[in-house]
Amino acid sequence: MTLSSEPIAGLARPARRAPSLAMRLDRESVFSWLMMAPPLLFLAALVGYPFFYGILLSLQDRPVAHTGTFVGLKNFATNFRDPIFWRVALNTFVYTAAATLLKMIGGLAMAVAMNQRFALKNLVRALLLLPFIVPTVLSTVAWMWILDPAFSVFNWFLIALGVPRPGPSWLGNPVLAMGSIIFINTWRGLPFYGITLLAGLQTVPPELYEAATIDGAGSWQRFRYVTLPLLQPIILIVTLFSVIFTFADFQLVYVLTHGGPQNATQLFATYAFDIAMGAGQLGLGASVALAMFPALALLIVALTLYMRRG
Amino acid sequence: MTTISRRGFLELAGLGAAGAVLRPQDAAAADESLTVLHESSFIKTFDEYFQKTLAPAYEKQTGVKVNYELTSVGSLPTRIGTITETGSGADATMIFGLYPFLFDEKLLDVGDIAEGAGKAQGGWYGVAKEAGIVNGKWKAVPFSNIGQLMNWRTDWFAEVGVKRFPDTWEELYEVGKKLKAKDHPFGFELGHGFGDNHGWLYPLLWSYGAHEVEPDGKTVVIDSDETARAVDFARKFFRDTMLDDVLGWTDVSNNKAWYAEQISCTNNAESILWLAKRDFPEIAQVTDQAQNPAGPKGRYHLMSAISHSIFSFTPDPQAARAFLRWLTDEKQLGGWYASADTYYQPLLHGYDNASMWQVEPRNIPYRDSLATAHLPGWPAPPNHQLAESVAKYVIVDMFAKACTGTSTKEVIKNAEAQLKDIYRPV
Repeated sequence: MTLSSEPIAGLARPARRAPSLAMRLDRESVFSWLMMAPPLLFLAALVGYPFFYGILLSLQDRPVAHTGTFVGLKNFATNFRDPIFWRVALNTFVYTAAATLLKMIGGLAMAVAMNQRFALKNLVRALLLLPFIVPTVLSTVAWMWILDPAFSVFNWFLIALGVPRPGPSWLGNPVLAMGSIIFINTWRGLPFYGITLLAGLQTVPPELYEAATIDGAGSWQRFRYVTLPLLQPIILIVTLFSVIFTFADFQLVYVLTHGGPQNATQLFATYAFDIAMGAGQLGLGASVALAMFPALALLIVALTLYMRRG
Repeated sequence: MTTISRRGFLELAGLGAAGAVLRPQDAAAADESLTVLHESSFIKTFDEYFQKTLAPAYEKQTGVKVNYELTSVGSLPTRIGTITETGSGADATMIFGLYPFLFDEKLLDVGDIAEGAGKAQGGWYGVAKEAGIVNGKWKAVPFSNIGQLMNWRTDWFAEVGVKRFPDTWEELYEVGKKLKAKDHPFGFELGHGFGDNHGWLYPLLWSYGAHEVEPDGKTVVIDSDETARAVDFARKFFRDTMLDDVLGWTDVSNNKAWYAEQISCTNNAESILWLAKRDFPEIAQVTDQAQNPAGPKGRYHLMSAISHSIFSFTPDPQAARAFLRWLTDEKQLGGWYASADTYYQPLLHGYDNASMWQVEPRNIPYRDSLATAHLPGWPAPPNHQLAESVAKYVIVDMFAKACTGTSTKEVIKNAEAQLKDIYRPV
């Protein structure tokens, strides 16, 4: 007897069809790449290309409007011999460290204060964002007046306290000038810290505070052993952003002091701009700008590793 | 049906081709336009004159539309840099200071236009050639100087018995001491501005017989007795006559201090009086202007040259040349200069006695200063190294550091080391 091996009519497996475009797009691997493509292209065009072009420029003797010649690491060697470059490096580190630390402490205090209940809380929160919202150039012009000894509210106050006229020269004295730009940067960046940390604070479950209180923790201990550990990842992220922005700050110094007096406030970004655009030395300017990169890269890698470990 | 013979077709085609070649000029120019880049002027009537009078007049005469693209004060070099790097964005540009020497490879030789203007309008001042000729070729047609001279308060100077502006730096120092004692200090920029610092420090250096670099453009000669004397003078001039704040000043600071009646003497462009006449008439009445004081080796001024250049990549060089030639003709230039009083001091001798100088006689020293004006770094030829020295504020900071207490020997040694590194042989 021979058995039939034919499939029953009507129950035959349909022929395998190619998936439709909609189905293809629906696949996670395709869809995720589709979503990633625009920002990746954006980053490649506006960050990747300038970055690699900057590296290329830094390896050339490249006067503006002239063709460049490859010189290897000569521009970096020139910077290493340049006393202003080292002054600029020191200024940038002092400026970044001091301003970031002040913003971190002040921002944390601001966030804790804003997390309390008080009248007009929302309005106060909105007003505190103002320094961050106002365009830097505009607020810097206002600071230019505030720091002018003839019009300064600080000098008016100090003179009232008995300091001899005309009071301190905030932008004429090298130390005070550095202190002034650190102060203004802190004023401008504090709301960023404050609001971001406030968002973090609001995610801390109240039960943890209740439990800590029952265990006998005072307000400082609650802050030290509950708030701070839970905020740590956010503090690290905000610090990372803040260090990058502060390290590469340009507008504030360019408008207020242009690096003066005697390069006391000259930062990497302003010095690189002066050399590249003022002196037309694109290669040398790019090498100054790139000098920021290793320090920033190290910091980013260190913080990222720390966060992963956490 | 209309048919066309082979002969008829050839005739029509021939006429069409001839028409295309011999098209009327107006029709060709109808859609032609040029873009001229300019930095916003402090004197608004100057830009308005171009936009409302010159550009429409040129369009009416030739059919070519001229776009006057304004860029904010201080951003012109960056804009020119972008245009030259990308090879597009404008056909011609205002250009100033040392920039014709930086961008020379991307600028057309405009010698015919410059020479023609010189011949027709009384000849160029010597300093115009210093500003426009790069390696033997005119790469810019000089337009004007924006002189940096002495601005002084006649009422406060009179309080210490001075009716005429002092003739020498030492005499000015003596007056300044008395005025500071009467709470009317001087204010000369020693910070990192764009021009008001170099505006008086280079002339001071030159007036003591000192220079950065020899005319060979290579040999650094800043370490000299003459420099030491200039630095010593600057130190006492700062200490005994000025506000401490000048060390941190940028270019707006001395104007602000002038209108706040904080200072009795400064070094600035004519704009300080122009703006005072508009906004602070009482201050304008007691403001006067004078040439820089003389030092032991003469009297000098800084040249802040304004010129016009044509980019080598302009799609229609002939159209750009035709426009620049038209613009530098007396008929156009005279009115344009007059629109800004004399804020832009002509570099052609033909305007030495023009009626615009009678509008405000207190501006006449700006004209007279042209004979002793030079570009920064003079007598060395302008080049990339000089631009680097200026951008790094080598001379400004040499003086400023001395004013804050560093020894003369040390500030000069530091400046020399910086200059030697900048001018190192390639």
